Amino acid sequence: MITEVLWWIVAAGVVGASAGVVLSRSVVHAAIFLILSLAGVGAIYLFLTVEFIALVQFLIYGGAVTVLILLALMLTRMGASGRPEPLTGAQAPFGALVAAALMATLIGVAVATAWPGDLGGSPTAISIERIGAALFQNYGAPFIIMAALLLVAFVGAIVIARQEDGD
Amino acid sequence: MTFGEAFFGMSWLDAIIRIVIVVLLMTVVVVYLTYGERKVIARFQMRLGPTRTGPAGLLQGVADALKLLCKEDVRPRNADRWVFEFAPYLTFIPVFLVLAALPFARDWGVRNLALGMFFVFAVLGLNIVGVLMAGLGSGNKYALLGGVRAAAQMISYEIPLVVALLAVAMLAGTLDLNAIAAMQESRPFVLVQPLAFVIFLTAVLSELHRAPFDIPVAESEIVGGYFVEYSGIRWSMFQLAEYAALWAFSIFGAVVFLGGWQFPFGDDWGWWWQLILTLVKSLLLILLIFWVRATLPRLRMDQLMSFCWKALIEVSFALLLVNGLFLYFGWSEIILAVVNWAGAAAFLGAIYLRAIRKPAVENLVGAYKHAGVSPP
Repeated sequence: MITEVLWWIVAAGVVGASAGVVLSRSVVHAAIFLILSLAGVGAIYLFLTVEFIALVQFLIYGGAVTVLILLALMLTRMGASGRPEPLTGAQAPFGALVAAALMATLIGVAVATAWPGDLGGSPTAISIERIGAALFQNYGAPFIIMAALLLVAFVGAIVIARQEDGD
Repeated sequence: MTFGEAFFGMSWLDAIIRIVIVVLLMTVVVVYLTYGERKVIARFQMRLGPTRTGPAGLLQGVADALKLLCKEDVRPRNADRWVFEFAPYLTFIPVFLVLAALPFARDWGVRNLALGMFFVFAVLGLNIVGVLMAGLGSGNKYALLGGVRAAAQMISYEIPLVVALLAVAMLAGTLDLNAIAAMQESRPFVLVQPLAFVIFLTAVLSELHRAPFDIPVAESEIVGGYFVEYSGIRWSMFQLAEYAALWAFSIFGAVVFLGGWQFPFGDDWGWWWQLILTLVKSLLLILLIFWVRATLPRLRMDQLMSFCWKALIEVSFALLLVNGLFLYFGWSEIILAVVNWAGAAAFLGAIYLRAIRKPAVENLVGAYKHAGVSPP
């Protein structure tokens, strides 16, 4: 009972924070709302008993990605916090269209797919051992290829960003 | 099984009582950590430290806390109001969540999580958000600089911290902090993995902005860093978060490396001995951190970053690789320990040799380079 109430509070928080991301007038506020929204999604994962995914959500999206956004804001707009600026332009209707299409697709897939392991409507907990075995044994090759791709992107970013004396 | 049973397990009342006990304990510990730090640093500098308030100055922390509560809460006019006001609380929440996952005695924490160590990593990442919000929201260039420095430093040092702890988790074969502590009945992991312990301590010093890595809060350079504009109760929230994080990290390190509540005789002598073991070990780690602060001068920002990216991360990945090899081939723990001790000795030796080397000025630097004059 109390868990359902909590779920509704968290869900409302996620929706409100997401609305804040697109509606707030300052980029800094939008970034902070984004953190709230992503952390709320992590909390929803906790309700679904997939603790590992929830923690990864906190670590990657709550901690790393949004911190990078905030850091980029700090480095580029020194002291521009709080000042209202226009965040929408001529592309706003197209953005809304794409967002609506994406939402329709995601909801359709989520409802239409018969997900494995759902017994009687309640979610099943999957241990971290099973995730680890799947990641490093069954899907080892794609995992390593992804890692190599990320490494190449990383080195490339450093080469582009780096300024030698002659440049 | 309902959601509530699956996720929360025990009753709500039980959880709330445990949280209240941990918060009360934390408040007392933080008040006396500030006192303890002043006393310890004072002794290192041949001073007495606080002596006047109460017997041997024991009430100094209480007096400071009262003073801070009564001070005016100033908000600069060009500060971003909500970002500025919520930032202190956001720095505190992750620390509190870490405390909720730590085992103080056998099966005694607020919650014993199967993914305990991973939970600590995940929550620590959120710590940076509060610091960044303070830097952005203050409307002050020094605060912004402090925030940028703190974020860069914390993101960087999180990598060796996590990798060194994962190396230990590989040996333990679990991420459950209680199980990791229980596994150290015959020997604490610091004897097997001293190199991981050295990397952990270095990274923790940096995550906590303690000297010699206190660049983001350097008073002589950027007048105090990201919390320049804060005063009164909001400033004390930052201090509370900082000292609570110091305590939480020390307990975390004591559990993972020093045997937690288990070593020695943890199982035989009952829960009170386990509690004493955890607290004494964490206080020893805190004393070590104070000692480092009293001994070493502050680094430069570029030294700090290059030490992390060019030394610590490589060493921690090598550690992970060596541990993997040992686990794969099933070699004995004695050999692993010897290799690790040799690695730790080589690492510390390299740092020491580099610290005492003579400065070799080959190329002109800074103002000399632009002026084209020869160095003195």
